[in-house]
Amino acid sequence: MSTTAPDTVVEGCAAAPIGPSYREKDEKPQATVSGKIKFDTVHVLPQTPQLIALLTIIRDKNTQRGDFIFYSNRIIRLLVEEGLNHLPVKEHEVTTPLGRTYAGVRFEGKICGVSIMRAGESMEQGLRDCCRSVRIGKILIQRDEDTSQPKLFYHKLPNDIADRWVLLLDPMNATGGSASMAVEVLKGKGVAEERILFLNLIASPEGLEHFASKFPKLRVITAFIDEGLDDKNYIVPGLGDFGDRHFGTLND
Amino acid sequence: MWVGFTSAKHLPDELDRSDDWIDTQIIGIAGSSGSGKTSVAAQLVKRLNLPWVVVLSMDSFYKELNPAQSKLAFENNYDFDAPTAIDFDILVDRLQDIKAGKKAEIPVYSFEKHQRERDKTTTIYSCHVLILEGIFALYDPRVLELLDMKIFVDTDSDICLARRLARDVKSRGRDVRGALQQWHRFVKPNFELYVRPQMKNADIAIPRGIDNITAIGVWLQCLRSTIVTSNANGGTRRVDMVVKHIQRALRTKSEAHLKKIAELGERVLEKPLTDNVTVLEQTPQLRGIHTILQDRMTNREDFIFYFDRLSSLLVEKAMDRMTFTTQQVLTPLDRPYMGLRCASAICGVVILRSGGVFEIGLKRVVPDCKIGRLLLQSNIRTGEPELHHLKVPPNIGKHQVLLLDPQIASGAAALMAVRVLKDHGVEEGNIVFLTYMATKVGLGRLNAVFPELKIVAASVEEEWAGRWIDEKYFGC
Repeated sequence: MSTTAPDTVVEGCAAAPIGPSYREKDEKPQATVSGKIKFDTVHVLPQTPQLIALLTIIRDKNTQRGDFIFYSNRIIRLLVEEGLNHLPVKEHEVTTPLGRTYAGVRFEGKICGVSIMRAGESMEQGLRDCCRSVRIGKILIQRDEDTSQPKLFYHKLPNDIADRWVLLLDPMNATGGSASMAVEVLKGKGVAEERILFLNLIASPEGLEHFASKFPKLRVITAFIDEGLDDKNYIVPGLGDFGDRHFGTLND
Repeated sequence: MWVGFTSAKHLPDELDRSDDWIDTQIIGIAGSSGSGKTSVAAQLVKRLNLPWVVVLSMDSFYKELNPAQSKLAFENNYDFDAPTAIDFDILVDRLQDIKAGKKAEIPVYSFEKHQRERDKTTTIYSCHVLILEGIFALYDPRVLELLDMKIFVDTDSDICLARRLARDVKSRGRDVRGALQQWHRFVKPNFELYVRPQMKNADIAIPRGIDNITAIGVWLQCLRSTIVTSNANGGTRRVDMVVKHIQRALRTKSEAHLKKIAELGERVLEKPLTDNVTVLEQTPQLRGIHTILQDRMTNREDFIFYFDRLSSLLVEKAMDRMTFTTQQVLTPLDRPYMGLRCASAICGVVILRSGGVFEIGLKRVVPDCKIGRLLLQSNIRTGEPELHHLKVPPNIGKHQVLLLDPQIASGAAALMAVRVLKDHGVEEGNIVFLTYMATKVGLGRLNAVFPELKIVAASVEEEWAGRWIDEKYFGC
């Protein structure tokens, strides 16, 4: 599949010994880690043994739905936490319960989530785990069966979205088509490109390249850059259809 | 009959041990059957007023009987009152473990069957004082070696007989004739031959034992009143001396141990921490959470929300320190993916009470995680941590363990908790210590004493300010 890999891919996903620095190389188990891509705006989560183990569970076709939801949610929380790190803060001093002064920071700027329906909605729980009362907008984009191009069906967004930072949610970024269309919708509502953070579990190198070069100021947080796309534009090895596995809408 | 603390001088030598805070003080109490050993032990426990005193009866160490011996026993013809009836090898072995602060499995002896109960033991772990009570507590030279204090309860044999009869008939369902026969055939001769001579091994002899009036029948009242009035005060005074002596020994031990920890702290401050210590990267978001948590104006609802959020992150980080092995899977597209899986089950161990603040975070990451608990409390007088309660899965040695405590101060409690886990068969390298804030000194000590231990902390404090996180989290 790597035949179609774009030039921006520095390194395809490949086997590597992984583990913490205190372990000897031969003590580290081998596993396939994320590819690397040449964009400063693309942030891949650190390929720790724990993250790989979580991905292994959700990629496994024999994983039951309950486990799929639980373990994907853990990765989503990590994505949200990493995404939130890109939001601005301001110096802020407080007094501790023991009466000491603590030189800390305060969160700046309002945020909101926007999920690309339907799969993106499966990431809302993880977002709420970290940001309790966050507003969440929705955008419904579906692939037109005739043209195989994405088509906007519906959106509902906070009125003041132009003043907010947006965490855009979609677990799988295959061709980058839906995500691009969603970003266009947001920009049309006045959201600045640099204020959009796209949170995503697994991306194809092609889709990511397409998306990242189209929106050079937009930041992408992903857990894994996979091998590539198959002839049906599914990410491989991937994890199948995220929405189907999460919502249980697969044929048994 | 005052013998004095003849062998007490060996106590300070024990301080050279590297882990002297778990050097259990063992007190032996010997004396004839019915002499009042149990009462003396109970009196000691009461006067010491410490929660971690254990009384161990030598009855647990009777040898198992073969069928022929068993037959004799059921006919009241087996000599249970000779030293040969006791399995001193096992006793010595267990005492050595207890002395070294290790877990000891004590056999459970069934008097009905004259056998040890199969697969049944009582666990003794990390008591600071153990009282070994039995007619031959001061008999075996190997046991004498291990005793910090040796007490002989010296009671007139008429009183012993009276008490023994009362006890055998009343609570052990024997008839008077059988009990008397036992006394004359075995107990009395053995007393002269083996029990009484132990008095020369004692540091202190307590005349008459403690009053135990209720067990003795009315027909003895006359006799009792004369002896009790003449000797009871003497006995009580002796018990007081024993108590004072033990308290002094424990205090000296604590001081020496705390001094050692302090010295260790000075040394480790100069050494950099190894890779086994992970402090979370202080990202803007993390600093923001710290600020909310540290702010005294933050209400409890927010505090709990942000603490749980941070503790999930910490647990995720700690999971990275576990051991993993390669695992190949097929995706729904029938493509192989070479991934990883955790090499063994995870067990959380909460250091009570404060470690409980991590339980929500732990369950968010490992929902079916087994959770053990241990209660350490600082001694009010010495400031030294003491183990008060321990409940962990029996096969904890097969787990990778997350040890949870939100704050590390001097590191003394943390050192003890790790030590407890190691004593229960957990490999040092399989323990990850998880904490919210640790002092530099505390981290350094843990890192220096247990080089294989992994530590994950959310922040490092220059100096200890005090424990407060559990108070705010639990609201009391």
